[in-house]
Amino acid sequence: MSTVNGTRVRRRSGGEWLHDGLLVVVFLWCLAPFVWLILTSLKQGDAALNDPDLLQGPFGLGNYVAVLAQDFALNMRNSFAVASMATLLSVSIGVMAAYALARLPVRRRIALMTGVLAASLFPPVALVPPLYEAWRTFGLLNTYEGMYLAYVSFSLPLVIFIMSTFFAAIPRELEESAKIDGASALQAFARVILPLAIPGVVSAMILTFVTAWNEYLLASTFAPRNPEIAQTVPVAIATFTGAVEYQRPIGTITAASVLVTIPMIILALLLQRRIVAGLTAGAVKG
Amino acid sequence: MSTTIRTQPPPRLRRLPGHGLTDVALARLFIAPSVLVMAAVVLFPIGFALVTSLRSYTRRQVDGFAGLANYATVLSDPAFWAAMRFTGLFTVTSVALEFVIGLAFALLMNHARRGRGMTRAVILVPWVIPTVVAGQMWAFMFNINPGFINSLLGLDDFNWLGSAGWATVTVIAADVWKTAPFAALLLLAGLQTIPAELYESARMDGAGAWQRFRHVTLPLLRPAIMVALLFRTVDAVRVYDLPQVMTGGAFGTESLSMLVRQFIVITPDPGIGAALSTITFALVLGVGVLFVSQIGRSMVEGGSTR
Repeated sequence: MSTVNGTRVRRRSGGEWLHDGLLVVVFLWCLAPFVWLILTSLKQGDAALNDPDLLQGPFGLGNYVAVLAQDFALNMRNSFAVASMATLLSVSIGVMAAYALARLPVRRRIALMTGVLAASLFPPVALVPPLYEAWRTFGLLNTYEGMYLAYVSFSLPLVIFIMSTFFAAIPRELEESAKIDGASALQAFARVILPLAIPGVVSAMILTFVTAWNEYLLASTFAPRNPEIAQTVPVAIATFTGAVEYQRPIGTITAASVLVTIPMIILALLLQRRIVAGLTAGAVKG
Repeated sequence: MSTTIRTQPPPRLRRLPGHGLTDVALARLFIAPSVLVMAAVVLFPIGFALVTSLRSYTRRQVDGFAGLANYATVLSDPAFWAAMRFTGLFTVTSVALEFVIGLAFALLMNHARRGRGMTRAVILVPWVIPTVVAGQMWAFMFNINPGFINSLLGLDDFNWLGSAGWATVTVIAADVWKTAPFAALLLLAGLQTIPAELYESARMDGAGAWQRFRHVTLPLLRPAIMVALLFRTVDAVRVYDLPQVMTGGAFGTESLSMLVRQFIVITPDPGIGAALSTITFALVLGVGVLFVSQIGRSMVEGGSTR
């Protein structure tokens, strides 16, 4: 990190200039569409919204006022509740399973890990027919439970993968010395290993939360309408209708999109290290 | 780290419940909840779909054993083959583009002297944006109104979303935009495990930039490439959100996942819907198994006793 100031002193070569220029391409790729989204969401009135010129005003916050008048705050609440529950549930039981698979004597360990891998390849759409029938029987359609229970099917394998990588990286001697000091297996896990694995737990929590927050297929099947009950943000954004039917209201949709994306981008910027660690857990092995 | 812990005085341990558990008992206790939950939300649905797909129905009521008749119905349905065609085309094209662009981004980021953290944060933006938002955003940018991409490219009123072929292009473009940075992150992690000395000695042996890439980077990056391709391919085969939001499946952009969901909502025959979802499941699993057998056992053996 201290090299930043060191290299500044040197004259920058042509190659470095070219390189920085290419990095700008990466920045534009990632950010330019989002800039389009923000500017469009701030345009007022049909004339401005239907003009391809991004700087064609007038600008204002009218679209945001309209979105919040459409119960969008309730959609945000639902998404937050469902994503939080999915995260809590899958992280709490997934961390234990990952520790057992990484460290404890488990019979059929390979078979279990293969099962986890197979489950992570599972297409969520295959859950739709059976769970739709089951949820209808149990009255779980249009409920938070109906969604976060289904989300565990893909978030639990994710948590187990990330966490078993993290546990495997913690030296075994730590448990052994805790046991020499008289700790039981459970105490060695709870007092010694788990505190060291907190960064991994944070990674797993963020990834699970983001995946659940963004989920659309199951949410639109199990809770397609009614923001006051359980409809989540992606479903709302996909189904916003304007004053005129069949005309998608570009102003409201872009404003709602910015509203849900800003917190996620802040999360990504703040917790960048943890997210990248989680995403790449497993990718660097082999 | 381990030595400092060892020399510390023993931590004072209160008795926790389950103090006397052996390692084996603890392992069972720790694994049981996950196994139960996975059985309920993964194994049960697969089994249920399998059973349903073998039954024949009249007006949503079971009226007997159908054998493989439902599968035959699905396999002779042109809509199924149209969905297969779109899903296959989408998967091959988008994964190939994402891989090439992602690798280029990863190489750039790996060589960057400045702003590494900044770039890594920025590259997370497309990944963190909900797919539905990305779909709406790209649909509006490609749409005739306001015609942003048309005006960028100097096209007049070209109807991207409303013409066969080009509608597929818009969905692929949105997917490549959203996931190429993700591929870049996975590949960057792989690049960073390659020791710099290897490049130094290759340079001393007179290897040029292309030769270093071809003979040092690519072979050593193979595991990371396989993992990135596995994740991306499996995700692409089960694509749903983008075509659903951008085109609603019109103009030849209905994916397999969209077709399955259509059947569940519209068809009065659960048997055919279940047969379709079982075929989709088998396809996705097949693609996954193909990759995993290539990666070998290394992923499964992840946190092993080494």
